[in-house]
Amino acid sequence: MRVTIGFEIHEQLATRTKLFCKTPTDYREAEPNANVCEVCLGLPGAKPMPVNREALEGALAIALMLNCRIVREPIYILRKHYDYPDLPSGYQRTSMPIGKDGELAGVRIWEVHLEEDPGKYDPSTGRVDFNRSGVPLVEIVTAPDMHSPEEAREFLKELVKVLRYTRRVREEGGTMRVDTNVSIEGGARVEIKNINSIRGAYRALKFEITRQKNLMRRGRVVKRETRAYLEAQMITRAMRTKEEAEDYRYIPDPDIPPLLITQEMIDRVRETLPEAPHIKERRFIQQYGIKADDAKIIASELELADAFEEVAKVIPAQFAASWIRDEVKRVLEYNGITFRQSGITPAQLIELLQMVLSDEITLKTAKKVMELLPERRTSPRKIIEELGLKKLRDEEAVAKACEEAIEENPKAVEDYLSGKKEALNFLVGQVMRKTRGRADPAKVLEMLRGRIGDGE
Amino acid sequence: MSMEELRTGAVSTQENVARYLEAIEERDSEVNAFIELNPRAEEEARRVDEKLRRGEAGKLAGLVIAVKSNINVRGLRATCASKTLENYVSPYDATVIERIRREDGVIIGMTNMDEFACGSSGETSYFGATQNPSARGRIPGGSSSGSAAAVAAKFADLALGSDTGGSIRNPASHCGVVGVKPTYGLVPRHGLIDLAMSLDQIGPLARDVRSAALLLEVIAGHSDREATTIRARGESYSSQLSADLSGMKIGFAREFEEYTAGEIIREVKHALSKLEAQGASVVEVELPSLEKALPTYYLTVFVEFFSATRRYDGRRYGYRIEEVCGEEVLRRIMLGRYISRKEYSGRYYRRALQFRSLIKREMLEVLRSVDLIAGPTTPKLPHRLGESLTPLEMYAYDLLTVPANLAGIPAGVIKAGEVRGIPVGLQLQAGPLEEQKILNAMYALEGGE
Repeated sequence: MRVTIGFEIHEQLATRTKLFCKTPTDYREAEPNANVCEVCLGLPGAKPMPVNREALEGALAIALMLNCRIVREPIYILRKHYDYPDLPSGYQRTSMPIGKDGELAGVRIWEVHLEEDPGKYDPSTGRVDFNRSGVPLVEIVTAPDMHSPEEAREFLKELVKVLRYTRRVREEGGTMRVDTNVSIEGGARVEIKNINSIRGAYRALKFEITRQKNLMRRGRVVKRETRAYLEAQMITRAMRTKEEAEDYRYIPDPDIPPLLITQEMIDRVRETLPEAPHIKERRFIQQYGIKADDAKIIASELELADAFEEVAKVIPAQFAASWIRDEVKRVLEYNGITFRQSGITPAQLIELLQMVLSDEITLKTAKKVMELLPERRTSPRKIIEELGLKKLRDEEAVAKACEEAIEENPKAVEDYLSGKKEALNFLVGQVMRKTRGRADPAKVLEMLRGRIGDGE
Repeated sequence: MSMEELRTGAVSTQENVARYLEAIEERDSEVNAFIELNPRAEEEARRVDEKLRRGEAGKLAGLVIAVKSNINVRGLRATCASKTLENYVSPYDATVIERIRREDGVIIGMTNMDEFACGSSGETSYFGATQNPSARGRIPGGSSSGSAAAVAAKFADLALGSDTGGSIRNPASHCGVVGVKPTYGLVPRHGLIDLAMSLDQIGPLARDVRSAALLLEVIAGHSDREATTIRARGESYSSQLSADLSGMKIGFAREFEEYTAGEIIREVKHALSKLEAQGASVVEVELPSLEKALPTYYLTVFVEFFSATRRYDGRRYGYRIEEVCGEEVLRRIMLGRYISRKEYSGRYYRRALQFRSLIKREMLEVLRSVDLIAGPTTPKLPHRLGESLTPLEMYAYDLLTVPANLAGIPAGVIKAGEVRGIPVGLQLQAGPLEEQKILNAMYALEGGE
């Protein structure tokens, strides 16, 4: 039974002001209903301002990144009418396609267009916060080209990566909203709304496909309908059938002349576009000869990829790549931040890795310093000096630590001598602890062997 | 007050406001031109007088202006003469109000109107019908009924109205005052509560051409804060007025006679002969699409008005419009809801847009061969208050005024004469942004120098 999946993805554009007024978009920090004006409140008589250029260019950049053909005919802003407490004027403004017929990761992109976000309605209190009302959204509509929840998840991950690359969507995340269409061969198409994350999309699809399969197994019909995904229960629930489908009575908004995208504008926006992540990945493998897995991880964030290229000018590429993949990513993930948010600079990485390569510090020290970089935006050398973490060159000190370790751990020595090779690693660990990681582990191993004998 | 008296300081702004307030107090219970008066009018007048003394006052200093109740004036109610918005106190000034304040005009109050500007008689207001001060017992016309009546009754020097299909010109004609519907996009609409967004324009009503020109030049001109104003400056219409019409070619459409009462045509032709005396030549032109104008207009209005009223859902302004509005407003909403249905959108709204461009082409074509199209404003005289008309009879009042809105061109109305004591207005239409030509012809008819 062949499964067919398509998406409509909404993401907030990173603009300073709203789509049709000059009210700021930072609705999260603001008190409820603080960032509003007569336009985004839809007060009687209020007229939209001309479309926010930053938002239009953002949608254009995204359409270009998704390999769309840009629409050069007049693009009308439509009014989509529906009745809901979060919609202050009773209609949502949504543009006709800005880009069409694109492609990403083997999935066809049907269209990219602009929309305004409604306010936020809390049914439990009946309150509406209009701070979000009028925030620009980009909507991306895909062809039904995915055939499993896993494939769908991979596509969404790739899409999020590309959207982040453009720097045109809101960085803080959590603003994505996904509607998905899913059908099984022989059944009708079902739309699922109210999905807020990639994981949510995956779970909703998993549940919905099982539900549809079960219906079919029992000889029942899968109706054409719209269902809501309930995050907490991880299930979908019927919202309305096709017969109950709303008629949005679209009309071109008489208050806004159609948009015209010029070649000049396309060229200007195209110039600001980064290299696409999958192309970057391929180039990294060829140009720097790094491993494919490393390239993929490094290219997952534009700023990280840029940093890698800076570092690789000075540091051997594969060493830099491994370090970024293992250590930089570990620190970012631990802190739950992006590279851009971490504030770590290529210069810091270069300095740190050079100290490793010139044998001034141990790898262990470098890892420790790495952990400090996101909070201490200073030179790694300074951190190392401050903490006294330079490699211990004083042979006597290392020898003394070895002897102490042997004396204090007779059991380990005995184990080692009776053939348990791992016991030596324990002793090395003890020496490293005593020298606060500053001793060279290879040297320590050699000294310990010299003192205990090789155990044979 | 004459503008001369104000300019020379013979009358202060405060005295002017006081006299008007007195007149309103005395006679508005009969006329019903106002829904609400501005409690700060006297205070504002005092401030204008101070500025006048310091020599810093703007163009409208001393003048008292009445505002139609579908225009937002901060702190006053923009009710649209509907129960739907009876408690809506506006928190912001429309762009035209900002411009009036900048030039030191004093707003005296909010005028009565047909509910949500849906009407041509001034009778559909939730706050009661307005009387025609110039023809007692008759309707004042609409929908800017209170604004035209306030000017005619000498309750204000000037008034703002709005015109979607004749709502400034129709009452100007019935009340015997001057009214101008500007080129679409010349006057900012921000703050004007919608009837049909693609047709609505704010414009002035006045007792004389010069002061109408003055108010127009203050409110006209491009605004950055909305998307449909055109890149034009408000010209200095008042200082460029000229009654010399030599070389001006005026077209009179033969279709006008077909649709209009003979007694009205007689007055209109008499006015045309006066214009000829000032140097203009009158030729006959054709407007064969005139018969399509009304259905085109109303289909457009129904759909856009339906869209515009979705915000009155009962959540923010107290009432759901469908539950409290009058019959005509409800009719338009229901028709708009019906014809904007997905399965009909091609048949009605889009068809209306097509006819609209046809009518526009025809009007512009005629206006390439003549400077002005002159003719009657309404096909018949205003009916008696309380007389009941069918919706179609009511819509027929708009036949001659809607083409200017559909074509987006300017049009002005000035009194041509009287039939049995009832004013009859001459309507003058010109090409886009040619307001000056209209004003000059009206000025000539008025007998200006």
